Amino acid sequence: MLQNIFFGLSLGAVYSLIAVGFALVFNILKFSNFSHGGVMSFTAYAGYYAYIRLFDGRVSSSWMFFAVVTTAAVIGALTAVAIERVGFRRLRRNQAPVIYYFISSITLGILLENIITIFASSNFYSYPVFFSSDNLSLLGTTFSVADVVTLLVSSASLAGLLLVLYRSKLGLAVRTVSFDVNTASLMGIDADRVVMATFAMSGALGGISGVFLGMNYSLYPQLGQLVVKGFIASVIGGLGSITGAVIGALLLGIVEVALIGVVGSGWMPACVFVIMLVFLLVRPRGISGVIVQEKA
Amino acid sequence: MDYIYSILTLTGITMIGVMGTYMVTGLTGQFSFGQAAFMAVGGYVSAMLALRFNLPFAAAALAGSAAAMLAGLLVGVPTVRLRRDYISLVTFGFGEAIISVLNNSAQLTGGAEGLVNIPKRVDLPLVLLSVIGCLLLVACYKNSKYGRQCLALRSDELAARSMGIDVNRLKLVTFLFASAITGYAGVLYAFYAQYLEPGYFNWTVSAEWLIIVFVGGINSLTGAMVSALILSSLPELLRFASAWRIIIYCVIVLIIINYRPNGIFGDWEISRLWKKSAKGEKA
Repeated sequence: MLQNIFFGLSLGAVYSLIAVGFALVFNILKFSNFSHGGVMSFTAYAGYYAYIRLFDGRVSSSWMFFAVVTTAAVIGALTAVAIERVGFRRLRRNQAPVIYYFISSITLGILLENIITIFASSNFYSYPVFFSSDNLSLLGTTFSVADVVTLLVSSASLAGLLLVLYRSKLGLAVRTVSFDVNTASLMGIDADRVVMATFAMSGALGGISGVFLGMNYSLYPQLGQLVVKGFIASVIGGLGSITGAVIGALLLGIVEVALIGVVGSGWMPACVFVIMLVFLLVRPRGISGVIVQEKA
Repeated sequence: MDYIYSILTLTGITMIGVMGTYMVTGLTGQFSFGQAAFMAVGGYVSAMLALRFNLPFAAAALAGSAAAMLAGLLVGVPTVRLRRDYISLVTFGFGEAIISVLNNSAQLTGGAEGLVNIPKRVDLPLVLLSVIGCLLLVACYKNSKYGRQCLALRSDELAARSMGIDVNRLKLVTFLFASAITGYAGVLYAFYAQYLEPGYFNWTVSAEWLIIVFVGGINSLTGAMVSALILSSLPELLRFASAWRIIIYCVIVLIIINYRPNGIFGDWEISRLWKKSAKGEKA
């Protein structure tokens, strides 16, 4: 039982990275950024590529893992900023209705996925094994090293993000812009820069989660579709809040692991979907959400 | 010549599917990623009925469309009440759920190996007739009371509600109509290609149809049809670049979003050509 909870937490930690990356952009621009999935696959592949290039495909020590993760985060940030430039900046200038952001994000996501397919073929690549298959034993359950590291790195990244959001000037600007873009720029905040910074943060988180997904699920172009899990987690936690996204993701991880035990992994996605649907109909606000009903 | 016939047939089938997507996205503004799943339902139900019970084509087609409409009811009832982002997620989930059900029920549907040996009953003339028929249906829908209500709904949902339009019911009716039409497209596909596989109907197909509608202009049926014609026959003719097809689509969409957000045709409908002349005569 405890074992399953721990599995669920570890899975949920990865989902929470995705969900928070998703929720960040939702807070600022008020739309669901489906290109986040594309960023995740792209950085997963980029991390793999960097690893091959830098370390010749051999694992000699565990600090390489952190090198790959950092590279992926940087690449993710750059990709996300590029996406913002190409896809969303002009829409913001023109005050376009939200539908266009939505289409633009989906298109960019599909574009990234297909670029990967062309340049890296649709084969599955397996991520290098960074950690020994040792198992730690604690409280009568076994944890694998990879799971522990996943949990630790995810928590550290989230903690770093929360630190930036709630204790730094940039974070204050981000929170202000998420209230109202126009008033924020009246107060002297450069909305363009803040949006770019938000996308960079979202992309960095996406990069880290891409590496983890690559490790857990092996590498294939459709990896980005796991962003749907992040969306579901955000929805459960409440679309307007970051902490809600984290809680929703952890819950989702635990529920998924429990469901796999009960109904098997074939029917698990359908069950998760039904649960989410029920949740949406019963409490659309989510657990700690702010946004309830769009006006029109 | 056969090759061109087959391209035209497949394009016609796609056009019918796009009509369904146009109704859901253009008329009511819901971004549905599960439309292709209705095509799968229509195709599979009609094909299985024809294979197991030897139903004639017309009856199987009717049953397929009805089954797709039923699936549309199942999906539509919870969906129409949700906000825009959730609608995409829920329809995506339904689409994937239907595909996984089809994949997992190997005894009934052949599972991931697909359904084979469907008799061939559909050819170019039938598809052309169907395209024209469905086009007339959708155009009439758009010009009817329902279409005008949809126009109001799309412009401002809250205002439409306050004018007494039952928004949820309207969305549901449109959704049912669209899923029936898409199911019919699935029937045509099943009896043309003689082989069905769940992987043909996943969300990327729905996303392609959305892209087609968007490029043509969300508000314009003509635009959706023209861009369906171009965007589905062109890749066949440019087969050498097939891996780049989706990338080209995406780049086209990005360019259109940035420089001409209303789509190529904007609001324009081909019926304006003959409506204008009528007004000219009267004046």
